[in-house]
Amino acid sequence: MTVMEIKSFSSSFVKGVVLAVATVALVGGSAFSAAGNVENGAKVYMKKCWWCHGEEGEADGPAAEFMMPPPRDFSAGVYKYKTSPPDAEIPRDEDLFVMISNGMPGTSMPSWKEVLSEQERWDLVAYIKTFTDMFEDMDNPPALSLAGKIPSTPDSITKGAKAYEAGKCFECHGERGKGNTQKKLKEGSGAKLWPRNLTKQWTFRAGTTPENLFARVTNGIPNTPMPAFAAETTANGKLSVEDRWHVVNYVMSLADPTNQVSQGQIVIKGVQRPAIPADEKDAVWDGVEATTFRLAPQIIQKERFFTPANDLISVKAVFTDKDIAFLLQWDDRTQSIPGEEKSGTLAWGPLGHDAVAIQTPVTPSGSSEKPYFGHGDGKNPVSMLYWKSQSATDPAGSMLMTATGNHKREMGDAESIGFTTSSSYEFGTWKVMMKRSLVSPNTEKDTQFVVGKYIPVAFANWDGSNGEAGSKHTMTTWYWLLLKPAPSNDVVVIPAMIFALLFFGQYAFSRFAGDKKNKA
Amino acid sequence: MKILRPLIPLTVILILYFALKEGVPYLGSQLHEGTWPVIPTSVMKMYVFFIAVGVLLIFTFTDDGFKANIGPFAEIYLNPDRKIIRFVSAVLVGCFGAWVSYQYVKPTFDAPVELRSIHPAPPSNAKMWGKTYSIGTLKNPLREDKENFAANVKAGGEVYYKNCFYCHGDRMLGKGPFWDGFTPVPANFVDIGTIAQLSESFVFWRIGTGGPGLPSEATPWLSAMPVWHEFLSEEEVWKVILFLYDYTGHSPRVIEPHH
Repeated sequence: MTVMEIKSFSSSFVKGVVLAVATVALVGGSAFSAAGNVENGAKVYMKKCWWCHGEEGEADGPAAEFMMPPPRDFSAGVYKYKTSPPDAEIPRDEDLFVMISNGMPGTSMPSWKEVLSEQERWDLVAYIKTFTDMFEDMDNPPALSLAGKIPSTPDSITKGAKAYEAGKCFECHGERGKGNTQKKLKEGSGAKLWPRNLTKQWTFRAGTTPENLFARVTNGIPNTPMPAFAAETTANGKLSVEDRWHVVNYVMSLADPTNQVSQGQIVIKGVQRPAIPADEKDAVWDGVEATTFRLAPQIIQKERFFTPANDLISVKAVFTDKDIAFLLQWDDRTQSIPGEEKSGTLAWGPLGHDAVAIQTPVTPSGSSEKPYFGHGDGKNPVSMLYWKSQSATDPAGSMLMTATGNHKREMGDAESIGFTTSSSYEFGTWKVMMKRSLVSPNTEKDTQFVVGKYIPVAFANWDGSNGEAGSKHTMTTWYWLLLKPAPSNDVVVIPAMIFALLFFGQYAFSRFAGDKKNKA
Repeated sequence: MKILRPLIPLTVILILYFALKEGVPYLGSQLHEGTWPVIPTSVMKMYVFFIAVGVLLIFTFTDDGFKANIGPFAEIYLNPDRKIIRFVSAVLVGCFGAWVSYQYVKPTFDAPVELRSIHPAPPSNAKMWGKTYSIGTLKNPLREDKENFAANVKAGGEVYYKNCFYCHGDRMLGKGPFWDGFTPVPANFVDIGTIAQLSESFVFWRIGTGGPGLPSEATPWLSAMPVWHEFLSEEEVWKVILFLYDYTGHSPRVIEPHH
């Protein structure tokens, strides 16, 4: 080749490359990643991100110590959620981009796509990759192959259940997927970690599609005990591509759409029955509607608590002429039995009791003034029904209390209202029934439950294996309890009367006006 | 079908009614993010009444219009040959009346409405850190310190991320990790309806005395806002206020002195 020819060749080669890159950019859109501007990324990072992830990306920002899970440490270069092939050491740029854009449900990482432009998010991807040398001289890996996807069928779900057992998934996620682990789990950093409750898919961090779950099972979750089932090297063994798709279908089938907050529902509707259910397992409860509320940690009064494990509580209520019973149900990964060895091995912090409490105002007053929702106040006391689980030496216990503010509690006379409880813990779920009389002889310190009246009600929950005791617990805000009165006859009689009035009224009008017209 | 002619004004009334009921809140939600106040039912009923009267006036304004729209009613009720259609009409009107009355008497299990003033008038004086502050004349002492402004904003940010962000969120949108556990939901600082229309002294009072410091029209028993003067120093509160305005780009409302 002559010099001219070489020049001409290289020029057309460059043109070709430019064309190819442009085509990829148009088709894939992901070529943006190459265009991420590190300098601009740094600016956005120092405004929005460093508060948790730290100035040098070391997960040591001012907020980091209050978080579970902890913020991602970019300097370590370990990313939990990657869709690159199992043998790739690094995640794809798109994984980082999706994480920034969508956030991670159930963690402190919010979705940034409402706030940052697409370009700004790619700039951030480029910048956070500079905190580690992991990405140096590495090409963006291709996407994990999703070939061999198996549609969900009863047969596939059955096979998935077998693979779930073979892969020992139940050891951490529980026999029914409630995350009731047999082992104490830790982040790579040694930080507290609880396995995912597979029935609450709204807490899945990186998507809930079968493809998302396939990537999780295949690659595992680096920096956690979740193994990569594509690899031979883990203690859980390897699962074939086929088995992994079956497991995905099985896990998808575990989703419990009722295991989330009852959207827009803030009234627990108590229903009348001839008798109070015998215990928490009585079949009567099956026919009663549950209302599910969000539990948030007590971050309001001293001592504040930031790292809860339980996030929901479901409530049902049944009443008779004399008594009322509540069924409280919540998923808890551990049965906390103080003094028992196995419970001790799972606990973070001092092992306490699991416990639950119902709070109602001593004087419910409809929509007007209520007691302060955190244990009432001097003007408006609250009454509390409290239950705690058994210890190695003592059976489960219960208490009736009155409170007039934080740490201002006194014991009530539980016998005077016939307060009893029964409870059981099975497959990662607590069920506690509380029963008491509707009326109480102590009108100054205890709630009177009146049928047809809206009664404010709030709940508190303690997970004894999660370091929760005293003021460190989860809670709800005020909601409502309504003991539904029997329907009145007016509902039928009044519309029927209106119908008759209008029906015959029209004929009367027709005759009257017709007569008049004829006379005229 | 002359007899169907009255359906035209009825259709117009219905369209205007739905424009009022659904269209206005939808338009509002497009103009402004967040909750949009619904129109009170009593006001809606008044408007619908006037719309109906107006539409009927227009359609019956001329003699011909009157005959065309009212004529079919006379036909139904007065013509002895229209027995079947008279019966159908009587049943339909009766059913409509029964349905309306049922809506009034049927049992509802909706929660009682709780009215709440979001930005109540502050008291003239507030007690925090064992001192009494005059909210009307109070100023942020750090606002004029230009030399240390950036450092104070950053320090305020640290206070925010160690104490406030669990509810008010990373994005200042009131959607921190635990925002959905509390009622009322945490304030959205980006929204033009919160700190953008408040003075720094008001924000100082709200932070310092928290939920329990609210007057009763603002439902102090519901608010999850902690009483921050029990946790933070006075200076930390002023710093976090600097940070909130700096981050969101809003300016605090300035109260003009009285002359």
